[in-house]
Amino acid sequence: MKDRDASVSFRRDIKFWLEKNCPISQRQPIVQKEQIWGGRQRHFHSDDARLWFEAARDRGFTAPEWPSRYGGAGLSVDQAKILREEMQTLGCRPPLYDQGLWLLGPALLAFGSEAQKLQHLPAICRGEIRWAQGYSEPCAGSDLANLQTKAEDNGDFFKVNGSKIWTTKADKADWIFCLVRTDDSGPKQQGISFLLIDLASAGVSVTPIPLLGGESDFCQTFFSDVLVPKDNLVGELHGGWAVAKEVLRHERQLMASFESMAEKPKENIVDLFKQHIGNQDIHGISNTDVRDRLATHLMRDAAVKHLGERIARQREARCADPGLPLLMKYLSTREVQQKNEIVLDILGARGLSLSSPDDPELYDSMVRQWAFDKALTIAGGTSEIQLNIIAKRALELPFSGSS
Amino acid sequence: MILTSEQKLFTDSLASFLSSHLPVAALRVLRDAPLSTAYDRDLWRQMVALGVSSITVPTALGGAEFGWLAMGAVAQEMGRRLSPTPLLSSAVLAQGALIQCANIDQINRYLPDLLNGSEVWTVAFEECVHFSPEKVSTKMSARGLGGGKCMVLDGAAADRVVISALTAQGQWGLCVVEADAPGITQTPARLMDGRQYVDFEFTDVPQSACDWFLGETVATGWTQTLNQGMVVLAAEMLGSARELFERTVTYLKEREQFDVKIGSFQALQHRAAHMYSELELSQAAVDAALASFDSGRGDHSALASAAKALTNACFQLISDEAVQMHGGMGVTDELDIGLFLKRSRVCNQLLGNAYWHRRRYAERFEF
Ligand SMILES: Cc1cc2nc3c(=O)[nH]c(=O)nc-3n(C[C@H](O)[C@H](O)[C@H](O)COP(=O)(O)OP(=O)(O)OC[C@H]3O[C@@H](n4cnc5c(N)ncnc54)[C@H](O)[C@@H]3O)c2cc1C
Repeated sequence: MKDRDASVSFRRDIKFWLEKNCPISQRQPIVQKEQIWGGRQRHFHSDDARLWFEAARDRGFTAPEWPSRYGGAGLSVDQAKILREEMQTLGCRPPLYDQGLWLLGPALLAFGSEAQKLQHLPAICRGEIRWAQGYSEPCAGSDLANLQTKAEDNGDFFKVNGSKIWTTKADKADWIFCLVRTDDSGPKQQGISFLLIDLASAGVSVTPIPLLGGESDFCQTFFSDVLVPKDNLVGELHGGWAVAKEVLRHERQLMASFESMAEKPKENIVDLFKQHIGNQDIHGISNTDVRDRLATHLMRDAAVKHLGERIARQREARCADPGLPLLMKYLSTREVQQKNEIVLDILGARGLSLSSPDDPELYDSMVRQWAFDKALTIAGGTSEIQLNIIAKRALELPFSGSS
Repeated sequence: MILTSEQKLFTDSLASFLSSHLPVAALRVLRDAPLSTAYDRDLWRQMVALGVSSITVPTALGGAEFGWLAMGAVAQEMGRRLSPTPLLSSAVLAQGALIQCANIDQINRYLPDLLNGSEVWTVAFEECVHFSPEKVSTKMSARGLGGGKCMVLDGAAADRVVISALTAQGQWGLCVVEADAPGITQTPARLMDGRQYVDFEFTDVPQSACDWFLGETVATGWTQTLNQGMVVLAAEMLGSARELFERTVTYLKEREQFDVKIGSFQALQHRAAHMYSELELSQAAVDAALASFDSGRGDHSALASAAKALTNACFQLISDEAVQMHGGMGVTDELDIGLFLKRSRVCNQLLGNAYWHRRRYAERFEF
């Protein structure tokens, strides 16, 4: 009873605070160019965006569940859920975007030294330092443990040589967390270490790679005799694989909820259907065919959300089925892509340009979204790798030699 | 779904009853039985004694008010064993129509006998080869009720039938008749799932034999009854799909070819993992619909259609893959796989195939 009262009054306080501190303009669906990314290159699209960011930062709400000594708000799991719900109800935008916040932070909390936590976590929460993820290499994608970037012992330093590829937004980041090889005498997974590298260090260079959507979201990052202080090693020497897996677990969760972070088309797909196809069959496309596919997609999309809620309820009731969270990335990324394909079919010839003269705002963003979302079934562990993981961990099927 | 401990105790006791009295083997007995047999009436009475007919009935009407999540759990247990019982035809559809469409005198007159198992009912609403509850030509006239219905679940075993029909004035409603009333001809058939479906012909069934449910709430009550039937059937189908999926995964871990377990072949692993994700997706849709009946919130028709359409596809996928992954054994009658496969196709058509449900879903969202 006491707990209930406390949570009711907590919810009331949160709601009051959000209404007071989150400007109305920051309660609209987020568009990509207005996202607030942290770091030295941080900039705000509007004064309201700055106000909202600063208010959230000062209250620790950029990282609600992190302890307050590290810049978080120190909320319990239940309290953080209340905050999320209230933000959702009001439509508040996320106050800060950063891979440090989503991926590195949780790993540092689990594996970092006290000094590392104090150095890095507050800078992340306060949006001062922006992080990139340095896992993949040209020869180490799905087979991540095959990575070759070398870190050699060099007194108080590691000397790092090699390159990382697909490093999202590394050109805008300040630091990068990397998996590096410190030993190649034993099994692949056992000679890997987890290292934090300042991208301003001598010998680091970053080259953007253009994507099929025309943007350049990721880069190749080169390391040539880069000296990294030994204090920047997270976890044990050669023990980086455990840290890496913790990061990947968070990444899977993040990717499963990716749609809510993605740029929102300004019109929903049902309106688009009504507007462009409506009740008649139009040339070359039958209204019933598209309708059927759209209905299937909407049913599945709703079911994915119900499954997410079911996982959350099970977690709260402490009767979690460990197989279920493994399904979310696979299912939700497919559905996002399915929606985009239906959008292209609905738009017909209007949906074929990445910069349409008609209505650049609307149709462009939908087509760019289609192009961008092709990456969802690749990044963060491809769909095939997700199926391998489901087969192995949830169904306990025998080892196949390729998983 | 997360059941309360009380709900769990109840469904566990029913599950163990089903395991000992109505395992898959019972269906094999039924399919060879005379056409007049729809299910074991005596076993149904025992299940009623365990509480199966009063699960969703309000306590004010003498029910247990355990809720739809518990009903779904029971249906899944039946699905796991392909147990032939009148749960859907009598306890969900006929009883649901009575409670949601009849007046209080009618409810008081009929419900006790259904709850204590002394009567079993069914519903007759289908007149076409495809589910189309809105097409009704069975009609009352000065001579009596005339017309016909097909695909009546467990029809030949029912004591009474709830018929969707038109009054002499052309008003749509439901009417209850005794199954052996004068003017009723029954033609039972056993379909490929081994169960009994009956065609009914009505020739001048006397006015006096028909007790009508009419009035403002009948249409919404009947729609809701059908929604509940769809979701309970979907839950049962999911139970079947889950059983079949588990048997298939077990086989993948046992059967060896090329000196390894076939479950080590990635082509099969990925298909198994995909089936699992489809299974849990459908489960989420079914649970959401059941929960909406309990809470009274949400668009019941949309949720029911999503549950049925997704489960149709899921059970079809899993039954096809189960056959394929069992190889030659999969197409024998010796294994139960084929029984599940055939059940899936019958269930697809019962209470709406996927096309019907997608169309209704689109209508709910006005596109
Ligand atoms: C948008 C985006 C952002 C990214 N951001 C980052 C980042 O910030 N930092 C970072 O380090 N990396 C990042 N990545 C890289 C990402 O993690 C890799 O692309 C991914 O792990 C796949 O590796 P790969 O591209 O080398 O493909 P490959 O591993 O070469 O895969 C090629 C194909 O083979 C299949 N395949 C491979 N192994 C198996 C197997 N065992 N069984 C079955 N099929 C298999 C794959 O599924 C795929 O279809 C990003 C990728 C994208 C698309």
